[in-house]
Amino acid sequence: MNTQLDYINDLLEKDSELRDKIRDEVHDLDKKTRVMAGILNKLHSTPPDKVAPLLDSVRPIIQSCQKNSSALAEIIPPNQFWRWKDMWSFSLRNAIFSAALVEYMTSRTLISLEQVSATLGIDDAWKDKFALTAEDYLHALITLVNELSRLAVNSVTMGDFDEPLKISTFVKDVFAGFSMLNLKNDTLRRRYDSLKYDLKKIEEVVYDISLRNLHGAKAQEVTPDPTKSSE
Amino acid sequence: MGETGRCLRSKQEILAQFDTLRSQLDNFQDTREKLIKASRDATNLSKRLIFHLHHIMTEGSETGPGVAKIAHPKLVQIERLFADLRPDLGGDQFWRYQRAISPGLQEYIEALSFAHYLTHNSLITWSEVQNRLSDESGSPVSCLSLSRSDARLACTHFPLPIEDYLLGVSDLTGELMRYAITAIPRKGGRATASTVCAFLRQCKADFGALTHHSRELTKKQRVTVESLHKIEDVAYAVAIRCYEYDLPHDILDDIVSRTLDTSQHGEFRGKQGDCADLGYY
Repeated sequence: MNTQLDYINDLLEKDSELRDKIRDEVHDLDKKTRVMAGILNKLHSTPPDKVAPLLDSVRPIIQSCQKNSSALAEIIPPNQFWRWKDMWSFSLRNAIFSAALVEYMTSRTLISLEQVSATLGIDDAWKDKFALTAEDYLHALITLVNELSRLAVNSVTMGDFDEPLKISTFVKDVFAGFSMLNLKNDTLRRRYDSLKYDLKKIEEVVYDISLRNLHGAKAQEVTPDPTKSSE
Repeated sequence: MGETGRCLRSKQEILAQFDTLRSQLDNFQDTREKLIKASRDATNLSKRLIFHLHHIMTEGSETGPGVAKIAHPKLVQIERLFADLRPDLGGDQFWRYQRAISPGLQEYIEALSFAHYLTHNSLITWSEVQNRLSDESGSPVSCLSLSRSDARLACTHFPLPIEDYLLGVSDLTGELMRYAITAIPRKGGRATASTVCAFLRQCKADFGALTHHSRELTKKQRVTVESLHKIEDVAYAVAIRCYEYDLPHDILDDIVSRTLDTSQHGEFRGKQGDCADLGYY
């Protein structure tokens, strides 16, 4: 029994060393996602012509997440991806969200799972050690929609009446995608349910704009009316 | 950005990607549900085996080798359940579904370690359990899904997590407590109880050294300690009367069984003195 006890203790000790290493790496990734979230938060108060430089300042940080990806792929033992993935899901989702938001603001398109994997430097060959799962991607997309509904409101306040219309089309497409999924009663399902409220919010903004015939209007021709932002 | 992979420029492209994601999620759920069912089956069979072992030990007609003979086919039946899951648990997939099969696995380990204790009077080791969860256990398992080069891997159905082993054998202590206490009124039962008691003390010490690695194990350790206390209480009840009176064995057995009734209702500890005495005299 005692040799077995030592053996088991040894294995558990190694697991907890591994856990510490992962935690350090995730902590670093987490720091980066916080910085990105901080910068991207300024989108809500940045006029359209200043958005590009703002996005440019985020890109190098996204790029730098590649280091964390490869470090984690290095640390995780073969075939143990699913064992440890909960440790970084939260941070990785935030990184995916930032990448998706930057992509949307740049090209008005939805970043695909493959594309965001590549952006974060995740190699397909690491499948059993470090990968980007469907759940993580979907969670990040829900965060993206949450954020865009806020942006639809705030862009009106800034006098930009095109943005909500673009957001509306985009979010409807994404929502149509989500409705295709058979979600179980889990966190993804609960967050998916919250998308309806985002959608409603965006529709209200679009309605307000159409009602007042504001779409197509230039920002400088219309004085931003604070009452509209409170919709 | 977007230098590799494609952008989803249209609604069609977005929907196409969600279609892929849907089938991924559906496959995951289907497999997971299948494994949960298998795990439940393993739990039921294991519980039944444990119950059966308690029953035959109470009858008192079986000794070690007899127990092994009775337990073997039932254990093999459960092992075959696990063997059938192999195609779903290969490579990186095991840890994806570990939580789905963990309850059944732990219950099986509990049953296996109980049968092992009754046969060998020792704690089954992690590698012994892992060996049983492999082709070498003698169960006819097809390994068509695995290539020749995977011969070493082909032996085990899946890697046995240390945590599941520890949590499974922790549950053994509860079974042993029941076994020891039901044994006491019988001939030679008091010797059995004291062997089990010594074994549980060892378990308590060994597992206690590992609790800082697992919160679950800490919880189980509390149950182990309780089980040990129950046996110690009963041993005390037996001993105090042995010292005080020179009781004949049949009377002693009578006292013990009365004490037991109280202790198994969980009200024994703390007032054993008056309770036991009032009960008999």
